[in-house]
Amino acid sequence: MLSDVTFGQYYPTQSFVHRMDPRAKLLALIAYIVLLFVANNFYALAICALLIIAALAASQVPFGRVLRSVKGIIFILIFTAVLNIFFHGGKTVYWQWWYLKITLEGIIFTVFLILRLFFLVMGSSVLTLTTTPVALTDGIESLLKPLKYIKFPVHELALIMSIALRFIPTLIDETNRIISAQKARGADFESGNIFKRIKAIIPILIPLLISAFRRAEELGDAMDARCYSGSKNRTKYKKLRFGWRDLIAFLLFAALIAGVVLFNIYCRDIFPQIYSYIRIS
Amino acid sequence: MSQEPIIVCENLKYSYPGQDNCAVNGVSFSVARGEFVSVIGHNGSGKSTLARLINGLLEADEGKITVLGMNVAEGKNAIEIRKHVGIVFQNPDNQMVASIVEDDVAFGPENIGVEREEIGRRIDWALSAVGMTEYRNSTPTRLSGGQKQRIAVAGVLAIKPDVLILDESTAMLDPKGRREVIEVVRRLNKEDGMTIILITHFMEEALLADRTIVMNRGEIVLSGTPEEIFESGDALETYNLSLPRISVISNNLRTAGMQIKDVLQPEELADEILKNLNNCGIYAGQSSIIPHAELSSSHEWDIDIRNLDFTYSKKSPFASRALKGINLHIDEGEFFGIIGHTGSGKSTLVQHLNALIKLPQAEKKYRKPKVKKGQIPPVLPLITVGQFDLSNKKTDFKALRASVGMVFQYPEYQLFAESVFADVAFGLKNFNKKLTAEQIEEAVKSSIEIVGLNYEEVKDKSPFDLSGGQKRRVAIAGVIVTKPHILILDEPAAGLDPKGKVEIMELLHKLHREWCKTVIIVSHDMDEVAENCTRVAVISEGKVFECDCPANLFTRSEELKKLGLDVPLTTKISTCLEQNGIIIHSDCTVKDFSDRVIEVYEGGGNA
Repeated sequence: MLSDVTFGQYYPTQSFVHRMDPRAKLLALIAYIVLLFVANNFYALAICALLIIAALAASQVPFGRVLRSVKGIIFILIFTAVLNIFFHGGKTVYWQWWYLKITLEGIIFTVFLILRLFFLVMGSSVLTLTTTPVALTDGIESLLKPLKYIKFPVHELALIMSIALRFIPTLIDETNRIISAQKARGADFESGNIFKRIKAIIPILIPLLISAFRRAEELGDAMDARCYSGSKNRTKYKKLRFGWRDLIAFLLFAALIAGVVLFNIYCRDIFPQIYSYIRIS
Repeated sequence: MSQEPIIVCENLKYSYPGQDNCAVNGVSFSVARGEFVSVIGHNGSGKSTLARLINGLLEADEGKITVLGMNVAEGKNAIEIRKHVGIVFQNPDNQMVASIVEDDVAFGPENIGVEREEIGRRIDWALSAVGMTEYRNSTPTRLSGGQKQRIAVAGVLAIKPDVLILDESTAMLDPKGRREVIEVVRRLNKEDGMTIILITHFMEEALLADRTIVMNRGEIVLSGTPEEIFESGDALETYNLSLPRISVISNNLRTAGMQIKDVLQPEELADEILKNLNNCGIYAGQSSIIPHAELSSSHEWDIDIRNLDFTYSKKSPFASRALKGINLHIDEGEFFGIIGHTGSGKSTLVQHLNALIKLPQAEKKYRKPKVKKGQIPPVLPLITVGQFDLSNKKTDFKALRASVGMVFQYPEYQLFAESVFADVAFGLKNFNKKLTAEQIEEAVKSSIEIVGLNYEEVKDKSPFDLSGGQKRRVAIAGVIVTKPHILILDEPAAGLDPKGKVEIMELLHKLHREWCKTVIIVSHDMDEVAENCTRVAVISEGKVFECDCPANLFTRSEELKKLGLDVPLTTKISTCLEQNGIIIHSDCTVKDFSDRVIEVYEGGGNA
């Protein structure tokens, strides 16, 4: 059942993007998402597309792997597309029935929106494909550090995340083992109606919960024995460092921001004759 | 040994909340700096509780513990003491905080506020002390049990403790992992002068210490050098401990009138035997060859495996090929052993036998691959179990699973129901929905009774209220309740104390005689399979290295050692004897080996 769960999405190679600082990647993703929503014309969207293509090429992740993560949101894409195309409204009406109408503005907006969502998912999968969950946690902890001054438990949160990540593979193994064991005793998880299936999960869930509690208790003891006493007087071994790759990424993003802003302002003046098809309203 | 005591315990008492009897009851002892002390005792004898008392994880009800002159019970001493007394626990998985080795080792020093550069140096040192330097940036989940446990040791070492306590840290490891960990511990003791308290129930490990303490029901009952402890032979058994195999052989030989000193190493025992034989003027000779008893079998439930190949996470960057062309035939009626390292593919192999892992042809989505002209079509794996053809999609896999019972490792962790009765009946109800309540009750009753539990006493109890050994029996009952023809057990004795191991093996022989035609055990303990199995298949790196009866198999001890596998104790001794002209043909069990040696001794060399 869970045999295909590889740990996270991480695709192991040693590319340019893989070796960037996780904080830089996180910040870049945030900036990218903001830009996707700031962009209001196809010129700006095109340079966003260029950037994601460059990032993909630099990450050396096969394109198929990236597309696979888009597969997951295909339903949402279709749903929003249908909704928008009928309800967006606009002046140039092609077809109308009751409240539903298809307009030129609606079509342009729908295409734009779908591309926007598509790039958004691509962007986040570049992050998850090139960054180990551990590095991601380190990055988040480091970025959240300023919150310590408002008494936000950054260290505890990071430790919780790190322990959760650490135990995901262990618990997946355990789940697989329990599933196999109950299957060997004739349990059937694949047929029957929904109520039967939910009931069939009990023989997996209870041993799993008990084991999780037992592990938690033992881990607690082991942490105690290794002198854990909260974040007080604690030092941190691992330090993240920005490198030249992050600088390049930073420059690229600066250019991207400038590009998007400039296109947003001047897109009317580039090719005025097709302006109405370029800008969303 | 330096005389300065590092740990002093005086009259310790502790009982767990809600329990009447004391887990630790009036224990006094002291440990000197640099000493290597082993603590043995059956499960529940209080040895782990003792470890937790020493570094303040638990607080004693009565008595006093002083570590480095500090009283554990006073103020914040417990936290200070933990910097000096490190504990490595049983389950390596449950001691790791981080997903990367160096981060995990850094956890301890970070907690006590060590400077960054110094942490780096300590990681270097700790990892090299346990021989894991090259794994610094690995993920612990991809390491073997022994490697994980060495990381756990490194994590404790990085705090730079004076005392290292190992609380059954080797119980869940395979023999190779155990050797690795014990080696590290011995080196730390010899070279760095670290004080070691080794809590274990492997007698062979306890022998390595300077001093052994035996615990029974929360009390220290024996204390002395390992030699002194094992001389007290029978006393040990009353404390629910078994003698190490080597002492059993010595005792057997002594009853036949041989003069055998108590020794702890196979080479030394071989010397002792030789001395005896030489004194009688025997310098060469061999025991008679007992013909291998032919198995009478109707061959209705034979297992046949051909060309079995299996790869985990196929087509992903993490693909790993677990089985590489296995061919194996197991006759009905065998007590079959499958042996190999952790990760050799033995568990993957047995999961094929009841189609928990289906052959590719039996998968719903399977389509015959098109073969181009001139190409040889790929060889497909085939498995038959009795009448069942596992490569056929239409096979009734549920019926197969009812006939091939499978007991996983630590089966007690799969118990779930509110009562023992419901848990045992679970499988029965799944396989046959038409049974009447009386039929179910009868089947459950007989299976609970055959595993040696009292039906009336346990049937309404929650399985979680039983002791560890009882839980395992209930779990086995839950599998055999369908009266399977073939019973497969993955590491049935793992994690049990020596007496529990013997009892579980006795239970399996009983099941083999009365209940299931074929019993297959997966194990990594050579002595266990030598002692119990009719035939043994050695699996190494996804292939069958050899499949034979123990007597023949273990004559190839050199090759087995090359694979990193151990050989049974009896083989070790007979190899030493053979180098000196005495050839012992035994089936590798302790009893038969002793008998054959006695035969040579009494035969006076005329054989």
